[in-house]
Amino acid sequence: MLKGMSENETLQNRNWNVLIYMAGVVILFFILLMRLFSLQYTHYDENLQRSENNRIRKVVLVAERGYIYDRNGEVLVRNRPSYQIALTSMNMPRKKADRDLLFRKLLSIRDTAGERLFDSLSLDTAFQRSRWIKNRPIRLLEDATAEQVAIIEERSEELPGVMTVIESRREYPYGTLASHVLGYTSEISEEQLKLPEYDGYTQGDRIGQKGLEQFYDKEFRGVNGMKLVEVNASGREVGTVDGVDGTEPVPGLRLVSTIDLRLQKVAEEAIPDSAKGALVAIDPRNGEILAMVSSPRLDPNIFSLKKRERNKGWAHVALDTMRPLTNRAISGTYPPASIFKLVTAGAGLESGILTENKYYSKSCTGGYQYGARYQKCWGTHGSLNVVNAIRLSCDVFFYQAGLDIDMNRINEFGRRFGLGEKPLGVDIPGEKAGWLPDSASFNQKNKRLGWRWARGLILNLSIGQGQIVTPLQQATLIGSLATGKGVYRPHFMKELRDNHGNVVRRYEPEIIRPGNMKPYTHRILLAAMDSVVNHPGGTGKRGALPNVRVGAKTGSGEWKKGEKTHAWYAAVAPLYDPEIAVAVIMEAAGGGGAVSGPIAKKVMEAYFENKETEAGKNETQTAP
Amino acid sequence: MKPKRLLDHSLKFDWMFIVLTLALMSVGVSLVYSATIAEDTSVVELFWFKQIVYFIFGSVFAAALVFVRIDWLKRAAIPLYAVALVLLVVVLFFAGDVVKGAGRWIDLGIFKLQPSEFAKIAYLLIFSYWLSKHPVSLFKMKTFVVPFFLFIVPFALVLKQPDLSTALVFIAVTMVGFFFAGLTLTDMFLIVSPVFSVLFSHSQALVFEILWGLLICLVVFALFRRRLPKVLSAIILMANIFAGYASTMAWNMLEPHQQKRVNTFLDPMSDPLGDGYQVLQSLTAIGSGGLTGKGFGNGSQTNLAFLPEEHTDFIFSVLGEQFGFLGCAFVLVLYALFLWRATSISKQSSDPFVTLMVMGASTIFLFHIIVNIAMTIGLMPVTGLPLPFLSYGGSFALTCMVLVGFLLCLRYQARRR
Repeated sequence: MLKGMSENETLQNRNWNVLIYMAGVVILFFILLMRLFSLQYTHYDENLQRSENNRIRKVVLVAERGYIYDRNGEVLVRNRPSYQIALTSMNMPRKKADRDLLFRKLLSIRDTAGERLFDSLSLDTAFQRSRWIKNRPIRLLEDATAEQVAIIEERSEELPGVMTVIESRREYPYGTLASHVLGYTSEISEEQLKLPEYDGYTQGDRIGQKGLEQFYDKEFRGVNGMKLVEVNASGREVGTVDGVDGTEPVPGLRLVSTIDLRLQKVAEEAIPDSAKGALVAIDPRNGEILAMVSSPRLDPNIFSLKKRERNKGWAHVALDTMRPLTNRAISGTYPPASIFKLVTAGAGLESGILTENKYYSKSCTGGYQYGARYQKCWGTHGSLNVVNAIRLSCDVFFYQAGLDIDMNRINEFGRRFGLGEKPLGVDIPGEKAGWLPDSASFNQKNKRLGWRWARGLILNLSIGQGQIVTPLQQATLIGSLATGKGVYRPHFMKELRDNHGNVVRRYEPEIIRPGNMKPYTHRILLAAMDSVVNHPGGTGKRGALPNVRVGAKTGSGEWKKGEKTHAWYAAVAPLYDPEIAVAVIMEAAGGGGAVSGPIAKKVMEAYFENKETEAGKNETQTAP
Repeated sequence: MKPKRLLDHSLKFDWMFIVLTLALMSVGVSLVYSATIAEDTSVVELFWFKQIVYFIFGSVFAAALVFVRIDWLKRAAIPLYAVALVLLVVVLFFAGDVVKGAGRWIDLGIFKLQPSEFAKIAYLLIFSYWLSKHPVSLFKMKTFVVPFFLFIVPFALVLKQPDLSTALVFIAVTMVGFFFAGLTLTDMFLIVSPVFSVLFSHSQALVFEILWGLLICLVVFALFRRRLPKVLSAIILMANIFAGYASTMAWNMLEPHQQKRVNTFLDPMSDPLGDGYQVLQSLTAIGSGGLTGKGFGNGSQTNLAFLPEEHTDFIFSVLGEQFGFLGCAFVLVLYALFLWRATSISKQSSDPFVTLMVMGASTIFLFHIIVNIAMTIGLMPVTGLPLPFLSYGGSFALTCMVLVGFLLCLRYQARRR
């Protein structure tokens, strides 16, 4: 083709090239034939055996989900085996007639009570799906009973493609205990699968929903393993494939929580399930949550049941007007009520506007005249200083103090101790933020309603009507007021351990709010909390303990005209060296001191009793 | 005297070629039938039925092509190439229907158009057309400028989809085109040699070091014999040495998990739970076929139910299982005869365009055959290239039939003159 070559030469050259090309084709085909010969003749026997008698299947080895323990090593959440009857499409008959026969056989199976094992509708759906779902079992019967499994296993030879799959399901041995904290597991939903945080999850995965189960799901899950197995004609495993190593599953991490089971039990018993309420017990020295109750409760075990019963249980809790799904301890938002008087007093002392001996000109005569408005007090208390005003929870004193101090100072002081719009960041999902209104945020929030900030609002706010707090915030508030050493992030995770018991991660206590004040302020506030419980006429005297000095503040939150008040009680003990802070709210139950005080007392009592018996145990152990 | 008549060069139609094509199509439909026998849907929905429809449609198309004159083909080359590029750009940016994680289709309602299939044909036309007028020579590097640009644009667009295996088809067509447009076997060796350098130096085993040394010696020897321009010789030698060292260096720079991914691609069996799973099933299926196979319709019940793509990419394992070594050899012989009859069409005309078209079309077939079969028997990485006439799939069936149409046309039109 190059210039200088004759046409004939060019054609001859081209024919040579075609010949070379075809020679290349022959060589390549020969290589393929050699390989085929090796596969089909030399290695025929092993390949035939593998294909005739056995089939190779990829099996996912689901990693064991990590347990949850209480702080002393008691199991709070564990796993139980659960049997699923499933259809594997690759072992099902390929001919339509045979599949129909299998369908009729399955439909005719009855248990000893004469009940059908499978209903025709779900069977039909499963058979439909089996036509295009080839790689994973399709569930026919969820969480089957031992009897049902036995019936199927007995007839396994005549039911090709039907098999029993063992799964692991969550079990909550104490039922409703701490159910809002622990959460539950269920199959991942279509919506969740699309979310970026569930990247790497597949359909059918059971994931944590709510509570610790959700928050630490990635830790609990572990890493699934995989292996190749040989199965026989009816789909039963007969061995592994030689020379192919699977990957072992890595069990999920175990979570040692800060919950104290004994304390939690006492708290659960103290609040009846018929009441709406919440309790938080926290160690103010590090933020460890010792107990958390939200009532009414739900039983997370229902989510591990088979579909029909699960749906029944779900409908029951979801439609309940008492809203048992809400974790009131972190998602319940309430007015802080008179407990907020500690903040008002603190802000006043801190700024020098209040002192130990400051008395207001207007003594409490049952109410306070502000402009045209007459604002009532719940009693007639006379002239008081700040400690006694807190002891008796006198509103008139705080109306005047609030007007003097102004909201900015009060709110700033409150935020130092964990109140306000920033959630505390507890390690379970669903925490609501609080609200400390000032003129700007009040106008912003009530723009639509046309309400404007007025100075008269300070009257209500200074006694804790109008703000929003969660019970968790109340517990951290009283705890950090008592320690004066900062607000620690409240948390449930103490340690994560691997399945050998080695600590993988430990929760480092973290100060999230300064929680600082002048020693003078601290001293007066402690004296005030002391007087509430231990001095005559104190509103919180029903929370007193014989051997331990308890400090507390009661509250009766107004929320609706004509209804009983929300009963608040926040306590801390021992007052001068705090180890436990408890906040209790009983919705629409009456006065805080009378209703919630005894509940907090029971929890504190139990805490110090446990401590004593432990100390006793240690002594006998160390004694020779 | 029938065979002689079949091979009569004076005939306008190569009847043997047509018979071979029909035979391969029948084998294909039967295999698709037995691979998907269990799907109990209506006849019109069945894969084998649809495949017949595709083939009939394609045959009509091929028959129509026979009457297209060669200069019309040449004239259509540029417009078709332009359309192909537009379609490739469209699929890349607008109409990416995500099938298997890659946007390769444009949904036209009635059927899904695969622009890369269309581009294969358009590229074959324009490349043959250009090279038939402008032969290439390593002594005149500027002869490569236009072919290079003709090649790189569709290649890059297809690679971007990403569809590596189809992009490689473009390389195969290009190399064969150069071979029939002026380059010698030695030239081809020199051009390809850097690839071998990469392959040989990927491992640091002594055998490969020695092989690489030999390769370099061979390159030097070939360069001396060809007496190429000094600059080009230097470039080729440097490319070899650089490829040798750079690949080692690049390899060492990869993270371990990236190295693993490359290894899995090159050797699927190193990851038996991932890609190797399909190959393992395929090997078992083919191997269990033995010399004579398990018989028609008997294979699909066992291993192939595991293969999600038994009727498309892994159709050869259906063949191997049901018809054994003899069946495989038979089909390979059919393919070889098919390619022989196809390439021999080049002798019908002295027009270099005919030669280039014929060899290019044959190469498209050959490349698919080799890469697909080598994949199913574990000799090559798992790629998505279908097997001509055997794999199920409308787009590719149509491509094959268009190529067959070209081949028939070239012979018919060359004889007519």
